[in-house]
Amino acid sequence: MIEFQSVSKLYDGLAAVDDVSLTLERGTLTAVVGTSGSGKSTLLRMVNRLVEPTSGRVLIDGADTASVPPAQLRRRIGYVIQDTGLFPHWSAARNIATVPELLGWPKAQIRARVRELMEVLQLDPDAIGPRRPHELSGGQAQRVGVARALAARPALLLMDEPFGALDPVIRGQAQADLRRVQRQLGTTVILVTHDMAEAIRLGDRIAVMREGRIEQFAAPAEIIAAPATPFVADLLGEGDRAFRLMSLRPAREIAEPGAAEGPMLPAGSSLAEALAEMIWTGRDRLPIAGPDGRAVGVVRRDAVIRAGRPEAGPE
Amino acid sequence: MRGRISILLVPLAASALLPFAVFRANRIAAGEPRSLIETLGTAGASAALLALGLAIAALMVIRQPLWRLGVAVPLLVSLVLAMGWGAARLGADAPTAARIGPGAGFWIALTLAGLLLIDALARLRPGPAARLGFAAGAVALVWLLLGSGVLAELSVMEEYRSRSAAFWREGGRHLWLAFGSFGVAMAAGVPLGIALARAPRLRQPVLGALTAVQTIPSIALFGMLILPLGWVAANLPGAAALGIRGIGMAPAFVALLLYSLLPIVANTVAGLTGVPRSVTEAADGMGLTRRERLWRVDIPLAAPVIVAAARIVLVQNIGMATVGALIGAGGFGTFVFQGIGQTATDLILLGALPTVALAFVTSAVLDAAAGLLPGAAP
Ligand SMILES: Nc1ncnc2c1ncn2[C@@H]1O[C@H](COP(=O)(O)OP(=O)(O)O)[C@@H](O)[C@H]1O
Ligand SMILES: [Mg+2]
Repeated sequence: MIEFQSVSKLYDGLAAVDDVSLTLERGTLTAVVGTSGSGKSTLLRMVNRLVEPTSGRVLIDGADTASVPPAQLRRRIGYVIQDTGLFPHWSAARNIATVPELLGWPKAQIRARVRELMEVLQLDPDAIGPRRPHELSGGQAQRVGVARALAARPALLLMDEPFGALDPVIRGQAQADLRRVQRQLGTTVILVTHDMAEAIRLGDRIAVMREGRIEQFAAPAEIIAAPATPFVADLLGEGDRAFRLMSLRPAREIAEPGAAEGPMLPAGSSLAEALAEMIWTGRDRLPIAGPDGRAVGVVRRDAVIRAGRPEAGPE
Repeated sequence: MRGRISILLVPLAASALLPFAVFRANRIAAGEPRSLIETLGTAGASAALLALGLAIAALMVIRQPLWRLGVAVPLLVSLVLAMGWGAARLGADAPTAARIGPGAGFWIALTLAGLLLIDALARLRPGPAARLGFAAGAVALVWLLLGSGVLAELSVMEEYRSRSAAFWREGGRHLWLAFGSFGVAMAAGVPLGIALARAPRLRQPVLGALTAVQTIPSIALFGMLILPLGWVAANLPGAAALGIRGIGMAPAFVALLLYSLLPIVANTVAGLTGVPRSVTEAADGMGLTRRERLWRVDIPLAAPVIVAAARIVLVQNIGMATVGALIGAGGFGTFVFQGIGQTATDLILLGALPTVALAFVTSAVLDAAAGLLPGAAP
């Protein structure tokens, strides 16, 4: 559990972070979203003490971070930045081994851990491991950066715009990988981004920042359905809020008993995907598959549309 | 590009018309030119011209750098061998006091063949290890030529024979001056550079002061050091016993050291401040302590720039150590200045040639070493 207690950071008298109090649950992914200069990076960097708060405290599992020597604290916290910051004179494998080496793990254990992580992140250890960073593609370098951050099994991972430099296709893949790895390992993640779509896609909770303050801290569905301030609404973009909401909810939630003609909707489909399929194939009822791939019911068009409205939204 | 370097083939052919050797009645007499035919005889000169013609024709048509190298190296070696044989031939029916040295034609042909060789080498784009190999091969070849005795009749070699003990002694002093002052400058300059990289405010004043030192001409700096070092020798107990004096080795050593500092300190600062921001940020974020970051990240990444400075400084020191002879520091400069005093060209060469060779080899080795560093640019 991460607790920010009235944390502020002043630069030349100006607050980059202004009296922020937040509690982040263990094992969740919190997306911090906001425009450039809103203090996201400063807030993130106060967790691993790359920035010292001017006032307030940051606690990890109840312990004040200020009481732990910075180097020791940081070895327990993964850190990923946009430019990857890979050490250019080391191979990908050696980069990944950085923190285990600092911690003095036995060599064989480090080697095994590097292989394991590369496999988790779908990097071929034999092909990619010996390469220097300049020999990696953007997506590969980014994954090596994530592997390096996870090497010493940190319970907490800090990510500062980790996907900002990737093209849209690779970014989608990287986001999906992060979600998978985070669930698999149960890591607590704080992810900074200026992209609300990314925050909605990845965050269990979203903290919207503006001028050093938290404007809203809530689950994605709640943020979309009920933006707390005009700024949050602006950040969401008015136009496609309904689709955003529909892309968050699984279609299976509104399945009814019964049967329908035509190809089945896959088990994990969202409401948005169900609607798109209906429009594309000219059907108003779709059979939907369960986890075992067999039909478990039908999804009706008016139910999809009704579900796309926010709970407290316009009737 | 090949067309442009081929221009060199024209003066290379023309160099055959210039005097190949110089004949002196004794070691300080004025030189008389000797043509290729006079030096090598009709048969020898014909063979030499035929070989030169073949080499030029080959270099006109061959593009492959390795083959061009295969022509340039034998060309260079045969030039030197021809000089050695020619000197022996001319010396055979001359009085013992007579001296035979290389003439303008030889020097020009040697330079041009050398340029063609370097061009072919550059085109091969050898890796660092291959470059080290070439440097070692060149040293071995020169060693072999000198040791074989074919050059024994050349005037420079006669100068060497008459003072071989002094040659090696001064060579040792030259190395000590150039490399010793370099070593001390590295030991002081790199930590100073590290400190300045961390303290931007001190950077300008310190680098400014070191730049000011560079602008002092070397002879003036030697002169300026005579008084303070003389005072130290006279007043600091034990200093004189350590060899510290107003003239001699000490002021030359200190002067070279002072000249070395600017490139080393400036490049250390540039190398360290050139480490990408994201890399230092990641290093800090991973939990590397300041010292760990310095040794594992900052210094390896700055090393190519620091080694570049080391190369500049060593070449500069090897050259400048010659001037130290003026204040009694010894080194190869001793022969140069003695030679100037006696108007004995060969003695000047005895000091100058090893200096040039030393600078050349040092530069090549450090250049290759820079390429072997893990932080070298890809
Ligand atoms: N080291 C610093 N010195 C002075 N001002 C800073 C420093 N770091 C950040 N700031 C200022 O703090 C504000 C927030 O910066 P930052 O946290 O980087 O924003 P974000 O990551 O949201 O773009 C900005 O106005 C920035 O100029
Ligand atoms: Mg930022």
